[in-house]
This record gives sequence, C-alpha cells and structure tokens, in this order.
Amino acid sequence: MTSRSLNKKFDKILAREEAGQLSSKGGSRALKKLFNNRLAVVGILLFAIILLTAIFAPLITDADPLKIDLRNLSKPPTAEHWFGTDKTGRDILARVLYGGRVSILVGLGSGIISAIIGVLIGAYTGYKGGWPDIIALRISELFMSFPQIILVLLLVSIIGQSLINLMIIFVLTGWGGMYRMTRARMLSLREEEYVQALRSFGLSTASICYKHILPNALGPIMVNITLSTAAFILAEAGLSFLGLGVPASIPTWGNILNVAQEIRVLQNFWWMWLPVGLVICLFVLSVNFIGDGLRDATDPSQQG
Amino acid sequence: MPRTQDVALSVKNLKTYFYTNNRCNKAVNGVSFEIRKGKTLCIVGESGCGKSVTASTIMQLLPALSRIEQGQVTYHSDSGDVHIEKLQRDGKEMRAIRGSEIAMIFQDPMTALNPVYTIGFQIGESLKYHTDLSTKEIREKTIDLLRGMGISLPEMRVDDYPHSYSGGMRQRAMIAMAMSCNPKILIADEPTTALDVTIQSQIFELMDKLKAENETAIMLITHDMGVVAELADDVAVMYMGNIVEAGTVDQVLRHPVHPYTRALLKSIPVLGRGRNQDIQPIAGSTPDPYDRPIGCQFAPRCKHRIEACDVMPQEVTFNGTQRVMCWRYKEFLPDAG
Amino acid sequence: MLTYVIRRILLLIPMLLTISFLVYTALELTPGDAVSALINPELASRLTEAQFYELRESYGLNKSFITRYGIWLGNVMQGNFGHSLAGGVPISTIFLDRLPATLELSLVALFFSTVLGCILGTYSALKRGSITDSSLTVIGMVGVSIPEFFFGLVALLIFALNLGWLPVGGRLLPGYETIWDRIPHIVMPAMVLSLMMTAGVMRYARSSMLDALTRDFITTARSKGLPEWRINLLHGFRVALTPVVVLIGFRLPVLIGGSVIIEQVFQWPGLGNEFIGAVRGSDYPLVMMIALFSVFTVLMASLIIDVLTALIDPRVRLS
Repeated sequence: MTSRSLNKKFDKILAREEAGQLSSKGGSRALKKLFNNRLAVVGILLFAIILLTAIFAPLITDADPLKIDLRNLSKPPTAEHWFGTDKTGRDILARVLYGGRVSILVGLGSGIISAIIGVLIGAYTGYKGGWPDIIALRISELFMSFPQIILVLLLVSIIGQSLINLMIIFVLTGWGGMYRMTRARMLSLREEEYVQALRSFGLSTASICYKHILPNALGPIMVNITLSTAAFILAEAGLSFLGLGVPASIPTWGNILNVAQEIRVLQNFWWMWLPVGLVICLFVLSVNFIGDGLRDATDPSQQG
Repeated sequence: MPRTQDVALSVKNLKTYFYTNNRCNKAVNGVSFEIRKGKTLCIVGESGCGKSVTASTIMQLLPALSRIEQGQVTYHSDSGDVHIEKLQRDGKEMRAIRGSEIAMIFQDPMTALNPVYTIGFQIGESLKYHTDLSTKEIREKTIDLLRGMGISLPEMRVDDYPHSYSGGMRQRAMIAMAMSCNPKILIADEPTTALDVTIQSQIFELMDKLKAENETAIMLITHDMGVVAELADDVAVMYMGNIVEAGTVDQVLRHPVHPYTRALLKSIPVLGRGRNQDIQPIAGSTPDPYDRPIGCQFAPRCKHRIEACDVMPQEVTFNGTQRVMCWRYKEFLPDAG
Repeated sequence: MLTYVIRRILLLIPMLLTISFLVYTALELTPGDAVSALINPELASRLTEAQFYELRESYGLNKSFITRYGIWLGNVMQGNFGHSLAGGVPISTIFLDRLPATLELSLVALFFSTVLGCILGTYSALKRGSITDSSLTVIGMVGVSIPEFFFGLVALLIFALNLGWLPVGGRLLPGYETIWDRIPHIVMPAMVLSLMMTAGVMRYARSSMLDALTRDFITTARSKGLPEWRINLLHGFRVALTPVVVLIGFRLPVLIGGSVIIEQVFQWPGLGNEFIGAVRGSDYPLVMMIALFSVFTVLMASLIIDVLTALIDPRVRLS
C-alpha cells in the first residue's frame, strides 16, 4: 500500500502520461541538472556578487582601506561608513571589499594551482606506474600525515610570513589531495579497453594520459577544485585571525577578524568582526553550493 | 481447468506501474497466471519484459516509486485465501508470509548476501523470525539445511562469510535460506544466470528434488529456453508487460502459436543438430517502455502483422490450458493448413 | 587478524622514521642545532665555554650528521624531547602538562561528532526527500562553510558574554575539580570543534546509508520477512558504517589540527595553544616536537581506525 500523497502523485503522472503530455527531451543532461539544482544557482549568484564587489571595489566605495583616520576611531555603521570604522579609523567596508580581493586570490589561486600540480603529477605517475608512482605516493603520504594547520604553521615559522609564502605553503600542503584523487581515477581508467587500443596505435604516454584519459576525470576534478578553494579560504581566514597568515599590512578577511581576539571588541564593537565573518560564511557557502551542484550534475551514478 | 485444490497462487489481470523520473512505465500491463502446487511455472522473456517485476509484485518487494495499479494476487494458503494486493507493503501479515510461506532466491548470490554477516547468521534470521526454535536449535537446523543442499563440512561452513564460498555454493546457501521455513511457493529469479553452465544443472537438480520432496510450487524466471525445456511444467512467455502465450511446457514448446514464441524458438541453436541450422534472429529490438506501440506490443517486429494489430489482442484460451494473445493465432495451430 | 595488525604497524615505522629525520634536519637548519636543544639550558648556563663544549661533545656534537640523528632519535624515544627556548622548560614537561587537555577536547569532539553525525545522517537517509532531509542537508552545508573560530566567537558572544550560561574560557578554575565543574567549560569548545566534523560525518553517513539501502542484500533481507528496523539497522547501517569509519580516519588530521585554533579562542590550556605561542616566539625545538608529535598521533589514530575497520568488515581482513 502506498501512502495517500504518493498515490495522488502517481495518479497525476498516469493521467498526464495517458494524455500524451510527457516525452523525453534532448539537451545536455549535466547542464540541465545543474540549473535545476536551486542551491547551485543560488551559489553561483552569491559567488558572482561577492566576487564582483571585490573586483570592482573602487567603484563601490572611494574610501582607502589603509587610510588611518584618528578622528573617527571605532565608530559604528553610519551613512558615511556603511560598516563602521575600526580601531585606527579605517573604513571597514573598504577593508572588507579590498580584503576580499586578497582572500579570494589566495583561496582560488591556491586551489587552482594545487589542482594543476596535483592533476599533472597524478595523471602521469598514475598512468606510468613504477618508481615515479611509488615516490610520488610516498611523498604525498608524508605531507598528508601532518594536520594541515600544523604543517602550515611549521612552514610559516621557518620561511616567514608573506602573501606569496602563504600561497606556496598552501599549494605545498594541498596538492596531495588532488594528486591522490587523480591517481585513483587514472588507475581505474587506464585499464579500460580504449586505452589499450590507443597504446597499440603507438601514441605517446603524455598524449594518452593528458589528451585522452584526463577529460574523463574532469568532473570530479572540478568538484575538488571548488572544495579545496573553500578549504583554503577558511584556512587563510583562520591563520590571519591568529596573526600568522597574511601579514597585517595587507587587509584580508581573516586579518580584519584579528581584532576579535579581544573580549572587549567581541562584546562591544560587533561591526568590526561580525559582517566580515558573515561575508566569509556566505562566500564559502556559495562555493560549496556550486561544488555540490557540480558533483550532482557530473556524477553518472546519480539517478533523477 | 484443473483448479483450486492444487493451485498455490493465482494472479488475475495484474498491472504494476512504475513512476520514476516523473514518467509512468507500465511495466506489467495485465498479466494472469496460476502456480500449481508441486509444479514449476517458468516465466520466460527478454530483459525488460516485466518478469522480475511480476515476481517482486507477488512478494510486495516493489521499490518505493511504484504500485500495484490493478488486479489480484491471491495466495491460497492452508488457512484460506490471502489477497496480497490488499496487504500493507511491510505490514505484519505480509512479513509473516514472506520468507515462511513464499520465499525468493535472486540472480546474483554474491550481491544478494550481506558481506558482513556469516552464512549461518543470515539463514538463522529467517528461522528466528518465523519459528520458535531456540538459538541452539536454529544453528543445528542451519547446519542440516546446508548439508541437505550438498555443502560439505557444514559445521565449519556455517561460520564462514559469503566471500569465502564459491558461486555455486553461495546459490545453494541462498536456496537453503529460502527453504529454511518450508515455504509453499519458491520464486527463483534467474538463479543460474550468474553461474557456470555445469553448476547450473546441479542447482536445477537441487530444485527438482526440493519440489518432489516438499511439494513446493516453483515460479522460475529465466530468459533461457533450454532451462524451460528442462524444468518447466507450465510456461508463460512474456513480452513488454503482457503474457503473450502460456500453457503446459508440451503445448508451448512443441506447438507454439504466438509469432513471438515461434520466433524465439527459431532463433536458438540446438546442440547436436549440426552446423547448418536455420537460425533466424528476431528483427528489431524491444521498444522504449516510455514510447510504446499502440495495440500489440510485438507488432512492429512481427512478420505477420496486420491492421487489426493496432488494437491489443484479447486473450484466447484453447486446448484446455493453452492461452495466447494474437489475432492470427488460429493460422499457427498444428492442424491448420 | 593479528597478522593484519602487525603488518600495519610495520608499515608505519618507515614513515615515522622519515618524518623524524625530516624534523631533525629542519632543527639542524634553524639557528642552534638539534643536539644543543637536548641539553638542559639551566645546566648549560652554569657552565663555562669549555665545559659546555665538552658536554656537547659527550652528546656527540662532532660526530657525523647521521650519527647525531641516531643520538637525537635515541634521546627522543627515551623521553628527552629537548628544551623550549622560552625559559628552558623541558619539552617533555610541557607535554605532560598540556597533552591531557588537548586529548580531552579532541576525544569529546570526536565522540560527539561521530555519534551525532551518524544519527542525523542515517535519519536523513531514511527520510529521503522529506523536508527534514532537505533542511538537514542545507544545515550541513552551512556547517562546513562557517570558519570554526568564527562560530566559536559567536558562541562565546551569545552563550558566555550575553547570556552568561557558560564560562568564557579556560578549562578549570582552581578549586573546582569535580566532573560537573568540568562540563560547562568543555561544552562550547567541544561543540565548536566538532561543527565541521559533524557536518561531514552526517553528509557522508547519509550517502553511505543511501548507497547501502539500494544494495541487493537489502531486498533479500526484506524477502525474508524481517521487520523494517532490523533491515535498516542491522543490514543497512551496519554496511554503511565501514565507509564512515574510513572517512573519520581521513578526517583525523583535521580534527587534531582544528583544536589548535579553538584552543586559542577559548583559552583552552592544551598543546595547540602552546604550539601557536611557540610559532609566534620562533621557539623551534618546541615547534618541531609538537609537529612531530601531531604526526605520531595521526598515524597512531589511523592505525586504530584501520583495525576498527577490519573488525567490522570481514572483507577488509583479506586485503
């Protein structure tokens, strides 16, 4: 016995089917699925909004994020300063917008670069096998045995803080995940028959691996890029919050949150940290929505 | 028609529709048959014709997005008739029937058995829920069942996991599990498709033995005509949700009257008949279930189609027990011109 | 089973040796060297140049790089982790002092997130498509999008500062030692730390459960006439559990690392807090040892997880 609501639903479908109103349409299944996913659409919109406001920051506000104004210390939001000012009088909205540029650059940049490196190595060594594969595998295991934060802080303490250093460190600690995933896909795909056929045609390893096999693994790679971007943005925020990420001279979302370490600020000056935090949440959320939508759209085993 | 006393299950005009992807698939579209006690009914047909769905319907094991649209499934138990189509899908009555009165074995024993529990545990579950035996008695009975299915060293095997059994042994274990509570009806859904041919005959011998010893009614689903010839007492040929022809195995295999049945039999090579057999494959392929032909489903591929075939043929009974759905069946009778 | 465990332990050793060697090398490259840090600074400060030199000699200063590694490693395995550059405190003492706090926090968070995540995920899977399922999915996604420290700050603001229900930080007040006193202090840090892990476990448990429920053996179980709860729990969840346990193994480094920031936010006196101080103060011996220890913990924990997986899934024991 089916429930009453299900029964009604079925009756409706049956009626429409008998009336000849339903038919299979064409079109790219993946793209259709992506846009049907409302969360993914929301994610894309949100992502675009935040990204564009960061890029076009000068058009939105003419305040200078670095300009100290001793006459306007710690002021709550007003018409002149939409997000208020911080302890040295700097306009917080400007800092959030310009800081967004850096945070997004670090997050997205590290995500893409570590993906490129991880995929290139994973595809090649995964396909080739043998010593290159074993060495790469052991090295990645080494990196992945460290909790990421600890490894990052370790490297920061050795090579010092700077924006470039941070991105280098992120890529160093992050390539492993993408490498592993690509390698796993490669291992399963290289046993497929079409690969044997390509080999028998005499194509070079690089050609087989990059031109023919890799496109089949693109779906999960894209999903992974979005997820690692989200992770890097959160990581940068956390590190800068501690004062150990991007140097304080360059505003980033995490940097701005640094002041919240003081209880006094936490309680009394909410505008200095709450809006930034929310922006981070929204941005990462949008990235996650997109990643989830991509995963649903490109996963062939999902049923409608 | 030989009736009620020796009929274990009757299905009348059954329609089961699937509602996935917001479309309606009429997987089983008006099917009637009977399973006689102590006899084997073979339901034969190509993939997608609805034979497995029929079995699932009888056991009320249909997936969530489907329902019994119309029709009756009546189980003639010792204590009266049970209308299965009226029972709650996972209610107490249905659950009491499943496993103890009507049992089922599946196509692939490797995936049909839970990999993290021992064979003994899984067989014991049926016994636990359908009998009052103690744990010790359950274990003993399980070992007996395994021995009866021809599994050597059952006292040790009972504590093994499915992955340490061979394919044939796994299927025997599944049969042991299904037969553990002495069901009146055993439904076997392509039980040997995943096994080697040599193992296949062993399994069928086993099933025949069970049928003889316990008077079990067997409903065997297969796509292999050879199996039908070996084991069936009664046959029903299905195509796209309808039974196009049915009868005793003698009637259907020796004197088929439906074009589909005849085409099927002509398309199989026979061992021993030599190289120059006249094998004729059936032209075309099965239609898209969402885009069916109107009227007779086989018409687009049928060599003998006429205009009348745009209307679904009515079912005609002749020769006592033989049934067919074809406007032109009379032309294919053995004593026709 | 035993062979499986022994095999796994043997595989760990090369990894540990490699990492310890890398740590040792890093220490050698920083100002000062590995062996010097082993010597008690207080003792060292009372010696003359010559005596100090002799002492370092006895520790193997002039031996080769590899030999010094051996000596250093030997010391470490016996518990001499060297001394912190800040105040010359023996690092082993710092560990003894701070480790229990971090362990307490991590284990509570791990337990909480696993249990809650599994319950919510399984429930979501069983009620697939319902409003509860959709809401939980979205909540889960929000959960992994919030920076943990931000969540901690907001929690601090609401529960500690504004409502005053929970203490602002710290682990214990001196004089208050019973378990009832401890609970209010650990509630917020543990909840916050487990936020992301819970969301992750929940999502994974849901998809693992959905996958398990479509398998053939579920149909077989149903065909035996078993009650729904037994099918869902003993057959569905039991099989869905394995991937979840494996996932937890993968996420352990994140959990251990996550406590670093949370300890800062809540002034929790653990190793993570100590680590940040060490990084800020360029206290290399301490930084290295805590890093080495964290790797050790991760490897040990994944060993435990592997053994656990082999226990619950007989197929794993074969490979």
